[in-house]
Amino acid sequence: MPLLEINNLTLEFGTPANPLRAVDGLSLSIADGETVCLVGESGCGKSVTALSIARLLPTPPARYLGGQILAEGRDVLQMTKTELRAIRGGIVSYIFQEPSASLNPVFRIGAQIKESLKLHRPDAATDAEVIRLLKLVGIPAPESRLHDYPHQLSGGTQQRVMIAMAVASEPKLLVADEPTTALDVTIQAQILDLLRDLQQRLGMSILLITHNLGIVGELANRVAVMYAGQIVEVAKADALLRRPLHPYTQALMKSVPKLGSNAERLLAIPGQVPSPSAFPSGCRFHPRCSQAQKDCSLKSPDLIEVDPGRWVRCPYWNETTIVPQ
Amino acid sequence: MRQDSASRLSCLCCTQMLDRRDACPAPGSQRPDQFQVKTTLLQVQDLKVHFPVRRTLFGRAKEFVRAVDGVSFALQTGETLGLVGESGCGKTTLGRAIIRLIELTEGTVSLEGEDISRMSDARLRPQRRKFQMIFQDPYGSLDPRMTVEQIIGEPIDIHQLAKNSADRRKRVCQLLNDVGLDSAHAQRYPHEFSGGQRQRIGIARALAVEPKLIVCDEPVSALDVSVQAQIINLLKDLQRSHALAYLFIAHDLAVIEHISDRIMVMYLGRVVETGDAKTVCRSPKHPYTQALISAVPVVDPATKRARLLLPGEPPSPLNPPAGCPFHPRCPLVEPRCRTETPPLRELASGHQVACHVAQP
Repeated sequence: MPLLEINNLTLEFGTPANPLRAVDGLSLSIADGETVCLVGESGCGKSVTALSIARLLPTPPARYLGGQILAEGRDVLQMTKTELRAIRGGIVSYIFQEPSASLNPVFRIGAQIKESLKLHRPDAATDAEVIRLLKLVGIPAPESRLHDYPHQLSGGTQQRVMIAMAVASEPKLLVADEPTTALDVTIQAQILDLLRDLQQRLGMSILLITHNLGIVGELANRVAVMYAGQIVEVAKADALLRRPLHPYTQALMKSVPKLGSNAERLLAIPGQVPSPSAFPSGCRFHPRCSQAQKDCSLKSPDLIEVDPGRWVRCPYWNETTIVPQ
Repeated sequence: MRQDSASRLSCLCCTQMLDRRDACPAPGSQRPDQFQVKTTLLQVQDLKVHFPVRRTLFGRAKEFVRAVDGVSFALQTGETLGLVGESGCGKTTLGRAIIRLIELTEGTVSLEGEDISRMSDARLRPQRRKFQMIFQDPYGSLDPRMTVEQIIGEPIDIHQLAKNSADRRKRVCQLLNDVGLDSAHAQRYPHEFSGGQRQRIGIARALAVEPKLIVCDEPVSALDVSVQAQIINLLKDLQRSHALAYLFIAHDLAVIEHISDRIMVMYLGRVVETGDAKTVCRSPKHPYTQALISAVPVVDPATKRARLLLPGEPPSPLNPPAGCPFHPRCPLVEPRCRTETPPLRELASGHQVACHVAQP
């Protein structure tokens, strides 16, 4: 049994008369100790999927129309409030993009980490344990940091404090929603290094949400690429990066400038990311797809398993695949 | 009524002009800027911007943040200079100080040989036609209560570039076409556009006064990945067709390498390395540049780079370290780095590095 299994999750916002289907029939599983990356652009539904795992989306406005989210075999969508409290932190912890917005500005960081300990491991709610956690996430001289307020720390250190809070409850799954987007590139490298190290030491699984394919190459075992509320491709990370099959994944990889390339022009994807209120008919990527066929606008393609563990939502994957330079 | 038909007519003219431009030789084969003589457009000499942070009882500044601390460079017509560095390194302050959005503390900025750094506001105003800025946040930099035509028309009015309202409308239409927007959208408001389209509006506004220099402050970092490439390509096309020089500020080295002719790497208000874009990115000499490049996540698993993980964080510019500002994080630190500030020295033609240790 995988640690987390999402089956056919469908999620809507908006009014029933004017629904915005943010997530449409998404299935994904995460095994013990695995790092899975969910890649996509803004509005593709990756963050709401992540928030759904611990049911952090307020309902309303969100409406779950179907599907299951099985955390260790139990469906999160059917849980009572008490059960949910046990899941939050107990099985799933989160870190978010903007650490300064996630930390409470009026409490000292030691107290904020201790709060997480009090809830989940009351016996360990001591200064010594907080110092151990701060040391674990690589904060130098943790004893002197205990009584700092968040504003006294830099962005990178704040994110380390967030990670310390998240792992304090010893979760089995860490959901990191764009954890390095707000950070500088040298600090981003440090945080990615820390996540990799923590995963090996603590043996937890990580679900990493990102728009940066470079991060996928650095950290992920498996990748799911999302576009307009649907998963369009799932594969092992190195297989996907070496040979992307879906035209969207291919285009995404080619549109990012790479260090050391001589390309005079970037291959931009025309048009814009569609809004959830107006997804195109048929394949949702077809208006922007350079390899679209006549019937792409008519029937919605299904995810097909082309190799064991390798899924792609494009019936023409075999004809359209170009190996990237 | 008459105005309406005039605008439609003018739009027709614009599209025809656009078609003609499209018929120009393909990029690379015969670039129009090859015929232009490269001249120095912008010359910056020892520019410093110090912000007072603490004051005495009587209001005199006691402490300063040295946001930009002695930067010199030159920019040719039609050239792109990429300015890269982490947050707080002073790259945005430098960009703003050059176009006098922030007053500079010391140094000179000459544009086409004329010193604009001490010019009075009244004399500076006509000069502002020569330089414009594109901002990072396409949501924050457009007035939500103005239509696109008002936004793009405002600089045209300020500099009195249009003879009459029909001419103004014609210019706005042409600018919209230039940046790849439909001129029929001129009466819409910013909220009706996506992030990428808003950035195009910001670019059209900058182009409205036919500038020679555009300071682009992180113009693509707020955009979606698939839209970034569109804007980068657009900026490159416009540079060619309008003979623009860019001071391109960004933190993403791959974007900087792609768009720039030359690169300047800043750390704590100083330039630590400058040179030809390909040279700096492929054989960086300053340990900070080397670390920046190795920190960029690599997409392709086949080209894994050796990791050079920098310890710590950039120090506060309020209290910069003595000697080389980078020495507390530097893997190659030597005793003299702690006391002597390294000046920029030339390692190879056009490739300068501020480091005691770096070897050619």
